Amino acid sequence: MLGLTKGLKYTLKNLTKQNVTTKYPDAPLELPDRFRGIQKFYPEKCIVCNQCAAICPTECIQLTGKKHPDPAKKGKIIDTYDINFEICILCDLCTEVCPTEAIVMTNNFELAEYSRDELFKDMRWLDENDANIRKENKV
Amino acid sequence: MIRTEEMLLNVGPQHPSTHGVFRIILKIDGETVIEATPVIGYLHRGTEKLAENLQYTQIIPYTDRMDYLSAMTNNYVICHAVETMMGLEIPERAEYLRVIAMELGRIASHLVWYGTYLLDLGAMSPFLYAFREREAIINLLNELCGARLTFNYMRVGGVKWDAPEGWIEKVRDFVPYMREQLKGYHDLVTGNEIFLNRVKGIGYYTKEEAIDYSLSGANLRCTGVNWDLRKDEPYSIYDRFDFDVPVFHTGDAWARYQCRMAEIEESLKIVEQAVEQFPAEGAIMAKVPRIIKPPKGEAFVRIESPRGEIGCYIASEGKKEPYRLKFRRPSFYNLQILPKLLVGENLANLIAILGGIDIVLGEVDG
Repeated sequence: MLGLTKGLKYTLKNLTKQNVTTKYPDAPLELPDRFRGIQKFYPEKCIVCNQCAAICPTECIQLTGKKHPDPAKKGKIIDTYDINFEICILCDLCTEVCPTEAIVMTNNFELAEYSRDELFKDMRWLDENDANIRKENKV
Repeated sequence: MIRTEEMLLNVGPQHPSTHGVFRIILKIDGETVIEATPVIGYLHRGTEKLAENLQYTQIIPYTDRMDYLSAMTNNYVICHAVETMMGLEIPERAEYLRVIAMELGRIASHLVWYGTYLLDLGAMSPFLYAFREREAIINLLNELCGARLTFNYMRVGGVKWDAPEGWIEKVRDFVPYMREQLKGYHDLVTGNEIFLNRVKGIGYYTKEEAIDYSLSGANLRCTGVNWDLRKDEPYSIYDRFDFDVPVFHTGDAWARYQCRMAEIEESLKIVEQAVEQFPAEGAIMAKVPRIIKPPKGEAFVRIESPRGEIGCYIASEGKKEPYRLKFRRPSFYNLQILPKLLVGENLANLIAILGGIDIVLGEVDG
């Protein structure tokens, strides 16, 4: 009986303590700066080096480049850039290898969609996803 | 004598107490188990085969998904294997960060076990308390590496991030808080007569049987074998810390419970000392070539994960991908003793015995 009473005492002690749960999704969920959420992509910074697509463990990044419209300038610019969030595991390796920080991580994590096709995000969508960028990546 | 007809009963694969997708085909006579056949493989993703086409850095996020309750130790074992092959010297600060992260992960993992085991046995509240403290650890690790479970924190040669400002102080404050809560857990559960009657004497095996089945971790130490790789084959910087290896002798589910609870205390000791000795500054990455190519040859390393000995074998041909990668996954080995333990047991003890082994299906199926 002593053990049971001890346990009950612990329960009673905790009864008066403050809640530890949060009101998500009614209240926003605060996440640390380093949180690995959905990527933000800067098309103007990208040099089409293909390193992000090469390092991706699940091969979820597909990109194509085109010639620079200004003939005086060398190099390529980005044409299409797609991430398939059906298989992206948000491992952060793409942002780690990017030499120009054209792809960075954000704190946004809400990716639920009604159809699988909607998880296929293109360059424009990734460009517009620009809230809550990591402090070190802010321009 | 009256004989009842034998019956086949499927437990799982979708059963909450199997902690994943695990199925046991039981042959029962009334309430007594006559034969138990575990069926595994529902979560098999072929990590080892996938790794043969991946660069070493790319394998690290895959290891997160094996034992997803203590991903830090999995991260470490693959990095440690590659570092051993390449003969790399790891900066001290990185080693301390690794040890702190791994031990916090061990505490979090044991807390999940404690909570869910009691939940399996029908006690709801310990689960909620355990997850409250686990949340504190998960938040700390989230601040450090940006994810709550799949950390992908370690790299060959060091770690990805340095500790953020004020993080070490937070870890320092967490240790006494956790100690205080642990006392509460003992008040709530350890002395509880109902719990004691439930777990004492069930799932018993001897020292010799444990070794024959190559069990490791708490499943081995509950039979009186004093074997912990952190003490017996120190890797990383574990030889710098003063801690004990909890060993119990009764070999039943009760001993395994005591063993894991004592391990939380020992891990807290290590975290406390690591925070105390944490170097004020220094590099977090060794000098590593951009493309990691271990020399031709093979290596096997093993470390102590919360579930037992996790090993990693790499056969390299000097290329950027391994020729063959093999993980010795402790949950898989620990599970093998289950059919033996279940024979002759009452059906009601099935969940109590299975829970006591502490398996993670992501690791069993690989």
